[in-house]
Amino acid sequence: MTEDKRMYGHADDLAQPNELKYVGHNVPLHDAVAKATGKIQYTGDMEFPGMLYVKILFSPLAHARIKKIDASAALALPGVVAVFTHANTPETLYNSQVWFAGQEARADERLFCDTVRFVGDRVAAVVATDKKTAAKAVSLIKVEYEVLPALFDPEEALTENAIEIHPGGSPFFEKEFGCGITSETFNKAELIVEDRVETPKIHHAAMETHVCIAIPDYSGKITIYTPCQILYSVRLVVAKVLRLPYNKVRILKTPMGGSFGGKQEVTIEPLAAFFAQATGKPVKIEYNRQESIISTRTRTRTIGYVRTAVDKNGKILAREVKAIVDTGAYTSNGSVVSMAMGKKIFRLYRIENQVFRVQAVHTNTPVAGAARGYGSPQIHAITEINLDHVANRLGLDPVEFRLRNLVHPYDQDLSGGPSLGNARIIDCVEEGAKLFRWQERRAQANGNGSGRFRRGVGMACATHSNGYFGAFQDFTTMTLRMLEDGSMILNSGIHELGCGTVTTMKQIIAEVIDINPDRIEAPEGDTETSPYDVGSQSSRVTHICGAGALKTAHKVKEIFQREAAKILGCEPEDVVMHAEIVWAKSKPEEKMTYGEMARAIQRKNRMEIIATETYQAADNPGSYGANFVEVEVDTLTGLVRVIDLLAVHDVGKAINPGFVKGQIYGGVQMGIGLALSEDLRIDPKNGKVKGDSFARYHLINAPDMPLVNVLLIEKGGDLGPFGAKSIGEIATCPTAPAVVNAVNQALGTNLTTLPLTPERILAALRE
Amino acid sequence: MELEFKVNDKAYSLEVDPESRLLDVLREELGLTGAKEGCGEGECGACTVIMDDLAVNSCLVLASQARGKEILTVEGLAANGELDRMQQAFIDNGAIQCGFCTPGMLMSAKALLLREPNPTEEEIRTALAGNLCRCTGYVNIVNAVKDAASAEETEGSV
Repeated sequence: MTEDKRMYGHADDLAQPNELKYVGHNVPLHDAVAKATGKIQYTGDMEFPGMLYVKILFSPLAHARIKKIDASAALALPGVVAVFTHANTPETLYNSQVWFAGQEARADERLFCDTVRFVGDRVAAVVATDKKTAAKAVSLIKVEYEVLPALFDPEEALTENAIEIHPGGSPFFEKEFGCGITSETFNKAELIVEDRVETPKIHHAAMETHVCIAIPDYSGKITIYTPCQILYSVRLVVAKVLRLPYNKVRILKTPMGGSFGGKQEVTIEPLAAFFAQATGKPVKIEYNRQESIISTRTRTRTIGYVRTAVDKNGKILAREVKAIVDTGAYTSNGSVVSMAMGKKIFRLYRIENQVFRVQAVHTNTPVAGAARGYGSPQIHAITEINLDHVANRLGLDPVEFRLRNLVHPYDQDLSGGPSLGNARIIDCVEEGAKLFRWQERRAQANGNGSGRFRRGVGMACATHSNGYFGAFQDFTTMTLRMLEDGSMILNSGIHELGCGTVTTMKQIIAEVIDINPDRIEAPEGDTETSPYDVGSQSSRVTHICGAGALKTAHKVKEIFQREAAKILGCEPEDVVMHAEIVWAKSKPEEKMTYGEMARAIQRKNRMEIIATETYQAADNPGSYGANFVEVEVDTLTGLVRVIDLLAVHDVGKAINPGFVKGQIYGGVQMGIGLALSEDLRIDPKNGKVKGDSFARYHLINAPDMPLVNVLLIEKGGDLGPFGAKSIGEIATCPTAPAVVNAVNQALGTNLTTLPLTPERILAALRE
Repeated sequence: MELEFKVNDKAYSLEVDPESRLLDVLREELGLTGAKEGCGEGECGACTVIMDDLAVNSCLVLASQARGKEILTVEGLAANGELDRMQQAFIDNGAIQCGFCTPGMLMSAKALLLREPNPTEEEIRTALAGNLCRCTGYVNIVNAVKDAASAEETEGSV
């Protein structure tokens, strides 16, 4: 079987999976004890001598020109060090999502601008010796505004007389791409099913709000402590705004209290850095919850128009997807996320004729940006809700309909993207349907449709990426060394987001070197001392950084064996490394610890056991997932209860199955929120965010959360370490459409505007 | 305002701003930064501590309300250096990811076991209803609390 050969071709370790000692095992999170005891220091817990605190004045208006700012009363308050506005801060324009030098992106954001473009835009900042003084001073700033007309609806932004929020107006980005010929195929179709699906702006809701500290030093260098996802992105933006060379901006990754994309873009770091530069003091910015919700980043609101053409056997002949992407008041990642969305639709089903059209627009609403899945949850909601509609119209079971159209392993991306790799979505759906007892439960739920409580069963599929290969530069460099006691240090630009990245790298290295993972230190990135890494984004970390750790560990092993051979008087290939003990194959009685050997190598060979390797991404297979879910809808209140959910994921190989499941459980929680309750709820009259606190923004909590079962498909086959593929983002992608599809089965509806709030459900029932 | 109270079995007498919240006193006066501020309005539970055996949101408790009370924070769970059963269960069950909600979760769970040593799953979920977590979907947190409860029961019956 050629396919099976390919399946195991890349990692010989995978041929005997039972012999893996650390990979595939549930090694605990490296900092679990520090977190369980409250000892870990998040950025908000850190204090530095002489530190100043910031309170920002946010715009109460959606669109206005600032005529005058009177900060005299604020400045007169004892303890106020400075007030910053557009008048005394750099005019430099930047884009918050630029992550590599030379990246083209529309730069339309400033520290402070003389025009505010959404409720929550920055107007001024007070820097003071304590938090209370800063807060009091902010309330004393008087601002005169000239109110400008505002727009909140992304479709209105595309009308002829729409106001211009930025020069040139909307759309500020448009693209069309695809494969085959769609228009002719539509004419031949048995059935065409159209839908309009809408997904809301949501808050990432990391429990830690946005926070960072900037510290200036005597040499003009600025050091920033930040729980970020891309150190080198923070460096780029800060260096640009402060006009500093890159080596005068040092970014240190601090413990991450949750991000989900919310801390991926560079929002508060340039402010803190400039204030620190201007005052010569350490400066902390810490947002409260409302500020994090309205003034950082949100998931991108997306409106999708989808038309799917099928023949009578349920084969998809053609599909057109049009997306309107609402990036909010500043461009941020508007164009990149638009493209990311479109690419996904060519990688899940075999559709020979397909076109994607996207228009990205500005509105006077909070700024969108990276959010777990980077457009995938939106585009999959759009297409997967439509596919259930198609299946219903055809009278076909949704699972059967999908199985007739899903991609097969090693299919090509018909839009020209990288190969799908060992795409195991059919396994996910087939095995998931069996385990969930899909047919039986679907039939049963559908029958129970007359009382107050109605049951529904639904499912959905999704795909996501494994890094940037095929789109943007993707590589990582790592340095690994063995110390004189046999312990090891991995020096790299990795970021722990709570997903287990540090431990995962240790497990991979431990497997190669045969050393206890606890004997390896893998500190997170520091732009001054770590080699370059693209960052914790694009679902690349396990697949790309993990492969980097594997490559570097193999190099260190090679050096160790080469040098040890000189000490032991044998050939390098005869050096046995086992459980931190080393010997020559021919002399098993002469054993040394790794530390003893490292010392002998230093003494006699005058060598250090160290290697720096660059791993260049060379593939970008799809990660795949399918969710199966049962819901109960209360037709009196409109409330939906998710009863249980099965998540099946093609992960290639789980380096740490516990971490993989942890990602899935959290992804499901986020996906249910997107389906049922989470929405910033922007007031169409004034642009104010109604859901600006946890009292008014409902996250799925412990009683709401259903039973979740997980099934992992581990068939390797791609270039990740031991065959591993991504999970963190794909984990949340199939959930929302699966839940919506279940509700639609329960009620016999075709609800397509997310979230399915009680109001929307009751309105649909009244129809 | 003078505040006399006990924190993690240690008596304190402090001069505090009457407007300050228990959370501020713990974090800023006593340097106990385990309790976190996630929302400042009692919705997320990241600041949960135990006050006289009951879980409270320390962001909603004024310092004056803590007078004469006994407060237990996450730092007090492993006071003698040995991890509390609940902490160990969280670690063993993979209930910790980013860790920001963990101190509050631990204290809510601990308070539950103080009043109900053998809770049902529903009681566990209800007790944690005011503690939000974005990482774990609560799955392993609920498992950890069950685990700690059964360990406690086993120990109790010995």
